[in-house]
Amino acid sequence: MNGSEMQTEPVAPPVPEKAEKAEQAESADFVIGILSDLPPQSITQLCGALRTIPGAPKILILAAQAVGDSVRNEVGGNSSSVSIASWPPLGADVAAGPLQSISAAYHSAFSIGERLGARACCVIASQVAIDPPRWVSEFAQPLLESQCDLVVPSYGHQKFQGLLNSGIMCPLTRSLYGKRIQNPLGPDLGVSQKLFQKITASNRASRNDAAITHPLISLTPAAACENLRISQAYFGSRTYPPPDWTNTSSILVQALGPVFLEMEKRAPCWQRVRGSVSIPAAGPRVAVSGDEATPDVARMIESFQLGVRDLQEIWGLVLPPATLLELRKLARLEAQQFRMGDELWARIVYDFALAHRLRTINRDHLLRSMAPLYLAWVASYANEVKTAGSAAVDQRLERLCLAYETTKAYLVSRWRWPDRFNP
Amino acid sequence: MWYQVKQALDQSTRLFLTRLANLLPGIVALIVALLVALVLAAIIAVVVRRLLVRMNFDERLVQWGFASVFLWSPMKSPALLVARVLAALVIFCGFLIGVAAFDPDLTSLLARTVFAYIPNIVGALIVLAAGSIIARFLARSVLIGAVNMNFQYGRLLSVGVKWLVIVLTVAMALEHLRISAGIVELAFGIMFGGVVLVFALIIGLNSKELLAKSLERDGKKTSPETVEDPLRHL
Repeated sequence: MNGSEMQTEPVAPPVPEKAEKAEQAESADFVIGILSDLPPQSITQLCGALRTIPGAPKILILAAQAVGDSVRNEVGGNSSSVSIASWPPLGADVAAGPLQSISAAYHSAFSIGERLGARACCVIASQVAIDPPRWVSEFAQPLLESQCDLVVPSYGHQKFQGLLNSGIMCPLTRSLYGKRIQNPLGPDLGVSQKLFQKITASNRASRNDAAITHPLISLTPAAACENLRISQAYFGSRTYPPPDWTNTSSILVQALGPVFLEMEKRAPCWQRVRGSVSIPAAGPRVAVSGDEATPDVARMIESFQLGVRDLQEIWGLVLPPATLLELRKLARLEAQQFRMGDELWARIVYDFALAHRLRTINRDHLLRSMAPLYLAWVASYANEVKTAGSAAVDQRLERLCLAYETTKAYLVSRWRWPDRFNP
Repeated sequence: MWYQVKQALDQSTRLFLTRLANLLPGIVALIVALLVALVLAAIIAVVVRRLLVRMNFDERLVQWGFASVFLWSPMKSPALLVARVLAALVIFCGFLIGVAAFDPDLTSLLARTVFAYIPNIVGALIVLAAGSIIARFLARSVLIGAVNMNFQYGRLLSVGVKWLVIVLTVAMALEHLRISAGIVELAFGIMFGGVVLVFALIIGLNSKELLAKSLERDGKKTSPETVEDPLRHL
């Protein structure tokens, strides 16, 4: 049964029935938390597709109260194998930042899954156009059939979207943990019972708040370091809101801080890893075409040049003299010739990770001072792929990932002997 | 007449020599005390430094979050700084012991005055240290924020903030030390006013681009989707 068939299926008469609370459910095989603004119609289609899973496993969908009520009215209550419960994620503090609220959502889904004895959990957090039958066969079924412990998503998006992932998160995770994962931080991840129990157990063991694991950040490193099975599934075409390039520093603080903390925690694991291997991937990634505005390269370069002029004192504490020299040379280039070498960028990211670990300066200052460098990389990337097609963009990003891998020896040396090895 | 002159000269020479003879043991005692203190200070400095190096004091200091101490330390080694401070204290004590050899009453008065003043010195040092840390932190915050907002005069703004805090701190420390309170207050008022004026000029110079950026940002915020969200880049 596919999505279109689901739409033609006769629907039950609307019953004004309230969605049950997650606490009222007694058992479930699979818990799905929906944090994104998926339209009720998509969730209805998803429910239909989930009912087609062989063996009719009990599935609990956690969704916002209003969405849950609407879907229940359409599909006719919670009588079938798929039930819907209202889900204000426990402790989800939106004011604390989106990454924190999504983290609370994951924790909430994991604790509900653990209580109900679920075999797997997943959270849908991004604005993505899901193809329900495909999602069920490539994402949900491998988890339920115990074929893998972590399913990571890959998305269709335009070349200037998701650049923090393309420029830092993806190549950094690949070089550290040796797995070629396109979106290691999800945010739409599927997790087996084995893995989410590890995460909840490690959080229970943590005595202080700082040591509590950030699921979105920790799941991929935990799975890679514990040699668990990871697979990648095409999630759909993702909608990214237009980026605000003038406010990159806050994004870097929120996203990179937990990643660097996790890196510090997993140092004994990633120091042993050399090279990378591909992971099983279900379904090809679909390139998204269409007009896309090129980032304002001139402004980014101006921001970088200002950083080179004014932030020398701070960068001098973080970056070695050779890197500073290269940055000064880069700042003198014209906008058209502006290119930042992949290895230079990889070394910069590694140096900031090391400074974060050593607390060379206040961590908030450190990550905020990285913003002009990140903008320089974005400007360089934009110059290179301005006219490139999707295959050329993929090749360009693959070269970047390889540069991260070849520069890893530099990171390991500096990490082990930060004072002695300072080229 | 000549006899009386000779008598007066003899008397004054004898008096000078007697006083010199009385002072000489004190001078020798001062020199000996200083020499002993110097030797003791050198030994203590070496021992303390080796002990701190063996304890990885410098690395531990970074782990405890006091990385900025490196910048003030000789040869960027806080262990050396601690050793030198201890050595200076030992030499100062040796000097006080040496001075005591001249006149115990004078020394006891001096010691009492010095010891009564120590809380003020410690208080002033704490104020200075805290002020310096706060000044550096605020200056960096302003500098990084200004660069990220593409302000051309970010460095000036940062230096202004730094000096504002330092001037305030130094004035507080001098007030604590009870040194020329009136002059310090007046000087502080003038300098604070000067720094605020510099600030006003810098903000005035930046206001055009600040306004342009603010309008641009307001223009972009057409929907609630553009709210800060790191996930959109991931």
